[in-house]
Amino acid sequence: MDFSASYRDASGATSGHNYELEVTVSGRIDPETGMVIDLKDLKELMEREVEARFDHRSLSDDTPYFRDRPPTPETFAALIFSLLDAALPKGSLHRIRLSPTAQLSVEVTR
Amino acid sequence: MIRVIRRYDFSAAHVLARPDWSPERNRNVYGKCANPAGHGHNYRIEIAIEGELDPKTGRMLPEGQLDEAVRRRVLRELDGRFLNRDVPAFAATVPTAENIARHIWDTVAPDVSPARLVGVRLIETRNNSVEYAGDEELA
Repeated sequence: MDFSASYRDASGATSGHNYELEVTVSGRIDPETGMVIDLKDLKELMEREVEARFDHRSLSDDTPYFRDRPPTPETFAALIFSLLDAALPKGSLHRIRLSPTAQLSVEVTR
Repeated sequence: MIRVIRRYDFSAAHVLARPDWSPERNRNVYGKCANPAGHGHNYRIEIAIEGELDPKTGRMLPEGQLDEAVRRRVLRELDGRFLNRDVPAFAATVPTAENIARHIWDTVAPDVSPARLVGVRLIETRNNSVEYAGDEELA
């Protein structure tokens, strides 16, 4: 999914990105449905956990998560991993990849 | 576990041919890539590092450390060059994508401390890329 957000860096300057987020889940194929996960459910979960919290928001000012840590690509990716991990069936989140720009990606695994 | 991946682009020319082989043998092994006049690629490098986040900065490496290392040690050496002729590392080593990836690994690895280098991906064309994880015995 893509979303847009801004943040204040250490110097107080405000910047922002179009973030690209890739989420990988793993697990057994359900014999009845032939799916590991219903992608519609995954999409709704990503919209609820990520888009609703961060899209068109300031990570620094509009969310409570960056009061005691700087909003870097690394800390933001780790936060998204923990939010999705808590919302998905236990152990099914395999990896997230957050790309703030085309030149930079951060991958988080367990 | 957190992994940071940074991308860089450069362009270079190369010939796939061993100087100690005959033109026929080079053509047999490397095909059209053995044309002595050389050909070029727009290469993309993806550098992957892993490590702890500095709790104060929230970063794995200080701002600019990796960019500076790659620009100074890799891009300056390779960008716009005829690799076989202009880059000492490829005077006696055929600049295949595999060997270029390994060379980039060896060049960048010392400069990513306190993080550690975990992968170099060299994308040569939209169809061909090589991933090197540093586990190869150097010949």
